[in-house]
Amino acid sequence: MSGKKKATPPPRRPLHFIGIVLALAILGTYLFLPFVIQPERGPSTVAVLTESKRSNELGLFRTGLEVIPLAALGIFLLGLWNVIVPQANRAISLMISVAGLLVVVYYINFFRDYAGEEAAYLGSMGSAFWIMLAAGLLCILQILLPRGNVQARFRVMRLFGNQESVILFGLLLLIFIIGIANPRFLQERNISDILQGNAYIAVAALGMTMVIVTGNIDISVGSLVGLLAVISGRLAVGGAPTPIAWLAPLVAGGMFGALIGFLVAYLRIPSIVVTLGMLSIIRGILIIWTNGERVTGMPKDYFLSQMRPLGIPMPIIIMAALTVAVALWMRTTSTGRAFYALGSNAEAARLSGLSQKRLLMTVFILNGIFVGIASVIYSTQFNIIQATPPPALELSVITASVVGGVSILGGTGTAIGSTLATLLLNFIRSAMIFINVSPFWLKAVQGLLILVTVLADLVRRRRQRL
Amino acid sequence: MGPIKDSSPRSKSIGERWCRLVFSQEGILFIIMLASVLFLATRTDKFLTIDNLLQQGRFMTEVGLIAIPMTYIIITGGIDLSVGSILGLTAIVLGWTWQELGFPLELAIITGILSGTAAGLVNGLFIVRVGVPPLIMTLATLALYRGLAEGISEAKSARGYPEWFFELGQGEFFLGIPTQLWLLIIAVIIFGIILARTRLGRALYAIGNNETGARFSGLAVNRYLLLIYTFSGFMSAIAGYIFVSRVSTTRSDMGMGIELDVIAAVVLGGTSIFGGTGSIAGTIIGVVLIQLLKNGLALTGVTSDATIIVIGSVLIFAILVNNFIQSRRLEN
Repeated sequence: MSGKKKATPPPRRPLHFIGIVLALAILGTYLFLPFVIQPERGPSTVAVLTESKRSNELGLFRTGLEVIPLAALGIFLLGLWNVIVPQANRAISLMISVAGLLVVVYYINFFRDYAGEEAAYLGSMGSAFWIMLAAGLLCILQILLPRGNVQARFRVMRLFGNQESVILFGLLLLIFIIGIANPRFLQERNISDILQGNAYIAVAALGMTMVIVTGNIDISVGSLVGLLAVISGRLAVGGAPTPIAWLAPLVAGGMFGALIGFLVAYLRIPSIVVTLGMLSIIRGILIIWTNGERVTGMPKDYFLSQMRPLGIPMPIIIMAALTVAVALWMRTTSTGRAFYALGSNAEAARLSGLSQKRLLMTVFILNGIFVGIASVIYSTQFNIIQATPPPALELSVITASVVGGVSILGGTGTAIGSTLATLLLNFIRSAMIFINVSPFWLKAVQGLLILVTVLADLVRRRRQRL
Repeated sequence: MGPIKDSSPRSKSIGERWCRLVFSQEGILFIIMLASVLFLATRTDKFLTIDNLLQQGRFMTEVGLIAIPMTYIIITGGIDLSVGSILGLTAIVLGWTWQELGFPLELAIITGILSGTAAGLVNGLFIVRVGVPPLIMTLATLALYRGLAEGISEAKSARGYPEWFFELGQGEFFLGIPTQLWLLIIAVIIFGIILARTRLGRALYAIGNNETGARFSGLAVNRYLLLIYTFSGFMSAIAGYIFVSRVSTTRSDMGMGIELDVIAAVVLGGTSIFGGTGSIAGTIIGVVLIQLLKNGLALTGVTSDATIIVIGSVLIFAILVNNFIQSRRLEN
């Protein structure tokens, strides 16, 4: 599709600037036009309203209103791109349209909300609403405008050429759509709760990603997280210094990883068998050791996950930092590249002088350490550590890695994809609660969405091969 | 080992054959099983009684029935993680159609089994037609089918079945052997023979050894794969029916985690997770060994949590010993 000779770009017409103009218009109305009418204060702009409502109990309106300038920013950037790359018009226009559509729906929703039960407090929307509506409609209409060059047919595919951007797009779409259906979903607290509560899954999925990239699997992570969390908690209760309670799971996890790695690399037992056995062994040890009793009474400074340096919850920081670190590490270092080599063709990797045994040991030890970090995040989350590992955690972790673009056959996959997939899966779960899906059907919808994601990825890969 | 290995043209003396049999995975497992039975029998006199053994036969039927298609699937190099969820789905459909929709119980049973089979068929269709890797497909349907079961049942359990319904799960039939154990024995014999002696069986080994090669040699690979995944759904559905009949109630969390028990039994039985080798005999020894260990250790006063440690260790150890012996044999 790239072999065609390049046509001369058509001249830039005013139409190409439409995205930028619209974005500026939206931002302008947001900042300056009296957008809503408060009974006590008269007409007020959204920006002022947002400012005055910062400490209001109706947090949902605040976050909801903040989405508008964000949407404007998105449209602005896309419009900018549309101007810079005039031949990329169809795909970009499509995205502008989507953004425009979202803005429109958002405003309709606000209108309904304010005109309805909140009317007494916020009043109805002024003329700004109609301006916005027109702007949004124009956004949608511009996809129908004539274009100079139709070469850009495959641009969408190229834009979504990797799993990460597909998932990111799905994630954003989900947030917008659910945000429209129920603005409470966009509350800062909800978003941050989802991120915090699942950070440990994302961290464990990073280790799993590396393991799967080398063509192996680890199904013992669920039990191991349970065991390491209890080790950490018991140390803290027993009076060990906090750093030791934090580091012990990492060391213990690394040791379990080394054991698994040894069995896989040197004794040549398939990893699925080793970890299936370890799953039972670790769970047994955990239950016998704790007798099913949960751990409580940790000292105050133990709760790493409840800390908020710079106002950001610790689990989110750890998750983000580790994701970036692993992504860079796997992309740039020779060991990281060797994992891919090992996963895509073990024989070729051996012939090119890579030590399979050492690589396998490395990857399983690393995975153990990541499971250790995950269990510290998990154990310091609440004041109680359950003695039973989170149910079916290994499945959540594997699913996250797989949906994130890790081929189960080894050789492909990235850290960023796996973290994004963890977030997507858990946003979906939370979203379904917010749009009132019966809790009994949550799992079914989730399963269906996993299937859809996997199929979408498969279709994408097949297209790319053509 | 599989029949393909047995049919090597080299003529062997009886001693050699005997040696081969003993040192095959099944032989080693059988010896481990005998040893553990003897050991456990010396520890408690409640273990080696007819009553107890038959009772254990009752408990292992569900795992055993599902382990048969799982062996087929793993031999082709695939896997089916959704069996536990299919079991739960079948149980719920059975209970729900009977209690909520007012189906006659016979029809409800058939509907349940059909829906389980359909669930397996869906797995197979996506794996064959769309080309989704089996692990990923069944991972997704593991969540999906369990979710359907939860959604349909809305966490309600169905109970109060008529007396005849319990015949399969709690009754005895001929020689005082539990009814479902007969079913397992017959299934093992039939499907063991199919795997070892028919074209279908050979095709499965061929697919597991080299799927592309099998395709090029004109085997209807897709049809075989579709067949075994559907078969897996069917057997899981039968297991679901037996489960409901045994415990007298339906709940949506039935059979949760059974896939790991099944896979452990199959792998313990010498089926390579990479495909190409394995046998029903090995699988069934694996199932029996795990059940006897669980029961025997429980009777000798070991807690069930310590038992799972033992089972996990046995799994790793058995594969280790087998690997060692196979590699020695290769050197010779």
